[in-house]
Amino acid sequence: MKIQVHYDRCEGHGLCAEQAPDLFSLDDDAELIYHAEGAEVGSEELVRARAAIASCPVAALREIP
Amino acid sequence: MNRPGAVVIVGESIAGLTAARELRRRGYAGSLTMIGREPEGAYARPPLSKEVLREATYEAHLAYPHADLDLAYIRSAAVGLDASSRIVSTADGRFVPYDALLIATGADARRLARTAQAGELVLRTLADARLIRRRIERARSAIVVGAGFLGLEVASACVAQGVEVTVVDSEPPLLRHLGPFVSERVGAHLTRHGVRLIQAAEHVHLVGDPVTGVALSDGSTQSADLVITCAGDVPAVAWLSGTGLADSVGVAIDERCSTSIPGVYAAGDVAYLIPGTGERASRAPFWSNAVAQGKVAAASILGEPRPHPPRDDYFWTEILGLPVKVVGPLPVNGDPTSIEGDVDAGDAVLRWESPGANPTVVAYGRKVPVGRLRRALVRAAP
Ligand SMILES: Cc1cc2nc3c(=O)[nH]c(=O)nc-3n(C[C@H](O)[C@H](O)[C@H](O)COP(=O)(O)OP(=O)(O)OC[C@H]3O[C@@H](n4cnc5c(N)ncnc54)[C@H](O)[C@@H]3O)c2cc1C
Ligand code: SF4
Repeated sequence: MKIQVHYDRCEGHGLCAEQAPDLFSLDDDAELIYHAEGAEVGSEELVRARAAIASCPVAALREIP
Repeated sequence: MNRPGAVVIVGESIAGLTAARELRRRGYAGSLTMIGREPEGAYARPPLSKEVLREATYEAHLAYPHADLDLAYIRSAAVGLDASSRIVSTADGRFVPYDALLIATGADARRLARTAQAGELVLRTLADARLIRRRIERARSAIVVGAGFLGLEVASACVAQGVEVTVVDSEPPLLRHLGPFVSERVGAHLTRHGVRLIQAAEHVHLVGDPVTGVALSDGSTQSADLVITCAGDVPAVAWLSGTGLADSVGVAIDERCSTSIPGVYAAGDVAYLIPGTGERASRAPFWSNAVAQGKVAAASILGEPRPHPPRDDYFWTEILGLPVKVVGPLPVNGDPTSIEGDVDAGDAVLRWESPGANPTVVAYGRKVPVGRLRRALVRAAP
C-alpha cells in the first residue's frame, strides 16, 4: 500500500508523527513531511502506518493500493 | 498473564477503534467485536464543526479504515450490561458475552430543551452536522448557545456562510478553559468579524416549540432562523445503569484505564481519571486523550504494561481563521506568565507556568510544530 497525504487538509497536529515517526515528521514551520512520498510502505511499517492514518483527527491521510 | 478469549468494544469511534488497532498490533488474534450505534461506523469527529459545516464534499474523507482489523460488527446500541455474567445486551436483542469489555461510548451533546420541546439543534454526530449545514445554507441569522470551543467553531462557520450570528453564554468566550487574557482577545476577534456576543446574567432558556430563540433572565428574548445549542457534552452512560460503573462525571478509570469491575475498561470521552488528592474529578473530552486512552486500555486488556500515561493534553480549535493549539493542563489560571510575539496580530505563543505544576503553552494563531509545543520548548522567534 501507499499513503496519500492531503496536505491541504493537514492541520499539523502531528498525531501521525507520534504513531509512525519514521514516516512522518513536522518541519520548523509545522508543515508535515511524509518521508515515503510515492513509495510503497514496507511490510514492517504497515501497522504503524495504519495507526497513523487512524489517528489523524482530520482524516488527511488515506491508504491507497 | 492470560489473554482474553473474547474482547468486546462498545462505541465505534476513535477511542474504540484505536484500542482495536492496538490489540491487533500487539498480536491479539482472538475474537474482537465492535458494537456501535452509528450507521456510518468510525469517522473523524473534529471536522464536523469546521470543514463539514462549510463543504458537503468533505464528508467523503471522514471515514477511518478498519477492514484490516478482522472485527465482528454489531451496528446497534448497547442497552445493558450484566457485569456478573459478563454479557452486553443490544437494542436489536442480542446478548454478547465477553472476557474483556472496553467502554468507549463517548459523550452525547448536552441539551437545553424541555421535554417534548421540539427542534433543538446540537452538534455531535455526522447526522447532526449534515442537518446544521443544510439549515445554515438557508438561514440569514443564527443564535449559538454556548461560547466554548464548539460554539465558537459553529459561529465561525455561520460567519463564513454570511449568516448573522449571535453567541449567548453566561460567561465570556472560552473563559472557563483559557482564562481572561485569551477570552478578551478572542472576544475582540469575534466582534471584529461581526459576531454579536451576549453575556447573559444566568443560564438561558430555549423558547418556541419548535425552538425559535432564547429567553434571557432579564425577560428579553432573542430569536433567529437557526438556534444551535453548544452547551457541552454528557457521558453516554445510560446503558451502564445498575452496574455502579458510572457516576455523574462519567466512568472512573485508573492509570491503566481499568474500571472498578475486573475485566471492564474504559477510554475516551466517557471516562475520567480518578483524581489525585485535592484535584477535582473531571473528564478531558479531547481527541488526543481518546487516542492515548484507547492504546493504554488495549495494553491493559492484554495484561501488558501501559505504553504511556492515559492522557495527552493536546487540544486545538479554530476561531474565524485563527488557529489555537494548546498543550498542557486546562483550565489555566489568570494571565499568561510569558508572552512572545504579537497577540493582537494573531501571531503569539503564550505560556502559563507555576511552580510544581506542568506548564500550559498556547500557540495563538502562530504556526508552531506540535512536537515543539509538547516539549514546551518554544523560544522567542529570532
Ligand atoms: C463537533 C465536534 C468537534 C470537535 N473538535 C475537536 C477538536 O477540534 N479537537 C479535539 O481535541 N477534540 C474535538 N472534539 C472532541 C473529540 O471529537 C472527542 O474527544 C472524541 O471524539 C472522543 O472519542 P470517543 O471515541 O471517546 O467518543 P465518541 O467520538 O463520542 O464516540 C463514541 C461512539 O459511541 C457510540 N455510542 C454511544 N453510546 C452507545 C451505545 N449505548 N451503544 C453503542 N454505541 C454507542 C456513539 O454513537 C459514538 O459513535 C470535537 C467533538 C465534536 C463533537
Ligand atoms: S495527524 Fe493529520 S493533521 Fe496531524 S500532522 Fe498528521 S496528517 Fe497532519
